Formats: sequence, C-alpha cells, structure tokens
Amino acid sequence: MNYLNKSITELHNLLINKEVTSEELIKEALTKSHEVNAKYNAFVTILDNAKPTEITDDLLSGIPFGIKDNYSTKDILSTGSSNTLNNYVPFFDATAVANLKKHNAVPVNKTAMDEFGLGGTGTTAHTGIIKNPWDPTRMCAGSSAGSACAVASGVYPYALGSDTGDSIRKPAAYCGIVGYKPTYGMISRYGLFPFASSLDHCGVLTRNVTDAAIVVDEMKSKDDKDMTSWDSSNINLYKNLTKDIKNKKVCYIKEICDINNYPNANQELKKHLDNFYQTLEKLKEIGVEVKEESVDKTLLNALASVYVVISCAEATSNLSNLTGIVFGPRKDSTNIFETMKKHRTEGFSPLIKRRFIIGSYVLQSENQERYFRNAQRVRRLLVDEWLKLFTKYDAIILPVSTGPAKKLDQNETIKNEENTILEEHLQIGNFGGFPSITIPNGFINNLPVGINITGNRYNDQTVLNIAYALEQQMNYQNQIAREINN
Amino acid sequence: MSKFTKEMVNDLANKLLIGLTEEENKMVLDEFEEIDKQIAKINSIPNIKDVVPMTHCLDDFKSELREDIATESIKIQDALRNSGATEAREIVVPKVVN
Repeated sequence: MNYLNKSITELHNLLINKEVTSEELIKEALTKSHEVNAKYNAFVTILDNAKPTEITDDLLSGIPFGIKDNYSTKDILSTGSSNTLNNYVPFFDATAVANLKKHNAVPVNKTAMDEFGLGGTGTTAHTGIIKNPWDPTRMCAGSSAGSACAVASGVYPYALGSDTGDSIRKPAAYCGIVGYKPTYGMISRYGLFPFASSLDHCGVLTRNVTDAAIVVDEMKSKDDKDMTSWDSSNINLYKNLTKDIKNKKVCYIKEICDINNYPNANQELKKHLDNFYQTLEKLKEIGVEVKEESVDKTLLNALASVYVVISCAEATSNLSNLTGIVFGPRKDSTNIFETMKKHRTEGFSPLIKRRFIIGSYVLQSENQERYFRNAQRVRRLLVDEWLKLFTKYDAIILPVSTGPAKKLDQNETIKNEENTILEEHLQIGNFGGFPSITIPNGFINNLPVGINITGNRYNDQTVLNIAYALEQQMNYQNQIAREINN
Repeated sequence: MSKFTKEMVNDLANKLLIGLTEEENKMVLDEFEEIDKQIAKINSIPNIKDVVPMTHCLDDFKSELREDIATESIKIQDALRNSGATEAREIVVPKVVN
C-alpha cells in the first residue's frame, strides 16, 4: 500500500484509526528515499534507523518528513551540501527541527541542496546534481532542490526548506508542489546555517496549502536564541484557513506579466503567461477583485543586482568561520593560514568562491558606498513599492519564472536578459520579509508551472487563504511527479 | 579598459584565503563586469543618495534584551567533537607565533 502520497490530515486519521502505524510509514519513506536517491540524487543522508513515535492528537505525530541539510540536526550529519562540512555533526537541533520533534514528527532524511544555499539550480551540492522527478534531464531549481524533489516524488508529505532569494518558492514551481516562506522571523533561524541573515527565511515544501499551514504552525515560535524571531502565538494558520475570500483584492504587475515586455518570448513563456491570466480568471470567479498595477521598471531592472550584492556581502561575513579548524575536515599544513586556505580552496565549489570574492569586493571600504550601500538603498525603494501596493491590495500575484523547469544542460551564461525580472522578482519577498507562497497552476509541455502569492508582513493568513481558495479552483493539489518521456 | 584585473581578483581571493584556478579567476572577472554594468543602473537612479539604506527586512523590528540570567554553556566535549585535531580540552593548530 502506498500511503505517503496522502496529505497530513489523511495520514493522521489513518494513524489515529490504527489503519497504519508510524513504523509502516517510516519503512515506506525509507524505501522510497533510497529509490529516489538512486534516480534523482535528492539526499545527503538517509536515516535508516529512524524510530516511530507515539501517535497523539498532534497532526504531525508519527509522520515522516525531510530536513534540508542546512538545518542543524543533533547527532546527524549536517553538511549544507558542502565539502567544507562533509563530516560535521551538530550537537544541537535547529529550533524549527526541535519544535517539530516536540510534536512527534519523524525525520527520515537530510535533503541535498545548492552548497550553503548560494545557488538556484540544485547543481552545486557536494553529492552531485539533483534531478527533477518530472524529467531527470531538467533541474529542480534551488537551493531547496532535494526537499522539492522528495516531496514531489511522494517520499513524505513535507520537507523543510530555506529561502534567501526564492529557494523554496522556485523549486516548488519546478516540481509541481507548494512552497511557503512565512513572514521573516515567524520561524526561528537558530540552527539554520546562515547565508544572508537579513534575507534568510525558514519554510516548508508540501503538496497542498493545508499541509503548509499545519507544518508552519508547528515550526514557528519566538525563540530567545534568535533575536529576530517574534511572538506569533496568536496566529493559527491551519485553524483559520478558509476559502471564503470574496471581496479580497489582488494585483499583478504589468512590467512583469505583460507579454509585450518579452519581444523574444519563446512558446513556453507565451503559454506560461497565458496560463497565468487564465488563473487570474479563476480568482475572479470566486469573488476576488484583480487589478493590473505598474511599477517603475528602472527599479525592477536593478533587483537582481541588489540581491547579488547584498547576499554575497552577507555570505562572505557569515561563512568566514569555515576554517577547517573548529569544524570541517582538517587540511594539514605547517602554517595556520595555509591550513585554512587548503580547506577553502579544496572544499568550496567554484560558485561559492565567486560569491565570496564578490562579497568581499563590495564590502571593501572604497567600494561600499557604490555597491553595498546603494544596493541597500534600492532594496528599500523596491520594498516601498510593494508596501504601497499592500495599502490597496491584500496580495500581489505573479507567475513564477519563465515557464517550467529548465534543462540541466542549458548554458547559464546564455541567460536572456529581458527575462531577468520575471526570473528573479520573488527576491523582493526576501527584501521585505513578506509572506509568500507558490502553488502549482498548470502544465506546459507536460511539466508543472507555478504561481506566487505574496502579502504584507504578518498577513500570512490572508496569503494562505487566497492560495487555499485558488488551489480549490484547480486540480493540482497533492500531485506526485509522473516522469515524462522526452 | 576594464577596472577589474586578474591580479585584483587574486588579491581579493588571497585575502579570503581562497585559491583560484585560471578558469575560476576568469569567471569572477566576467561576473564583475556584469555586476558593474548593473550597478551603474542603480547609481543612475535619481536622488539615490537620499534613501536610507535598508539593512533589515522588518522596519518595525524592536531589539529586546533577554533577562541577564546565566544559562548553561556548551560542554567542552561538544565544542571539540567536530575538530580534526584536539588534545585534552583544546583544539590543536599549527604553531602561530615563532
């Protein structure tokens, strides 16, 4: 019997009614983990000794889940998918993981990712390229590639992700599932390997909006160990989930959604945008007011650079503790600086090296104003544009990426510049700490595509309710990847 | 002529204690050119200097100090367990001062 393609509430009811045991679910998850790893390379570690837990009223009790490998897990290898931490075993759990364990949730694997979260393709993990379960010649996007691959493959109903630019929400779109990052600080970042602290968010990948609400309810807490976390105890996302969103107002942005912005659009992009507008019609059918808005394109054109400058600068600072001395594989040398240099030179992938050098350059005192400070200034201007829209609308709704998952052999250097805004706009959700969710909204050439809903800070419930109501109007919830033949 | 040079990239890498291959150096140079082109667009935004840099997601974030209560610190064994070379209660490193 195949249980793990079911939703969390379905599994909970089966467990409560003793139609299945936690032990049976774990066994199924582990068997699938090995199968999925052999085909798609989704995991760093599979926890073959995972133990069943007591079934309680907690919806997550006894149910297996996955953890992205940049979450610290007590006594379990946690590498961030980097060779510089390929032997690192933390002595504590990240708060989000500890919170889930308190609810008797059962971790069964650590998912592979772009090294330290610094990539968006799922191709830079030290364990190899993570492949898309719908089409293994395509990428999952990243950095939460392994988590997205596993959830889409039906290994379990949910996996933890982290999102600094779009690292939960784009892989969700490419894998035909749901990816949700709540408002910044709703989930403690304690124990999450830091990438860019002012942009890093914890979150989850699931196969439906209800499951995302259930999991984040149990992950979140104000945490003394993360001074940026806040008290969200009055927020109960699952309990207050409703599809009654009549009279809500949403907008989309002309400079991102209008096909005329893309004179060289290919068929995939045309279909993707057509499909986006069809999805907007479904929202109108359930009483949502949908309007087009306009945002200064000069600002939008700058967003990708703003992200690169800020994220690289913060990463350079955050990851400077990777010396190979206190943790990580030791490289012997007679000189401490050579020890560290060997550790970094041999351990980091070329992408990480580039990111660090860019980060270091923009932080040099003579460059700070031109690069780093001005990027922070444009960050504010972009966030202010979104905040202005949130005074009139409950949410902004936009297509994710330029279509379905890209081919793994597609050369990154031939990126189409006119598509940059469409590829990167989800980063504004990180700039402003806005709650943001991607849900699947159709297929192009038999591959899934996604739509994103982003709302104002602390307004997670509205964002989830719009996503939940829209999900009911479509037939893509709970879908499992069906590998297509090319 | 570009203001970015191979030597400059190697100097930055050395400061970070990172070694680069020729190919990696070239990749950094290419990326610098691209970023600089984009940053020129940022710098052309009118009155950009008048904007207060945004350093944090949440404008209403309030920093709160915890009560000054002593808590248990990390056990020595835990602190040492991921290091590749330890002796008694200490991490072994190559000689720093000659």
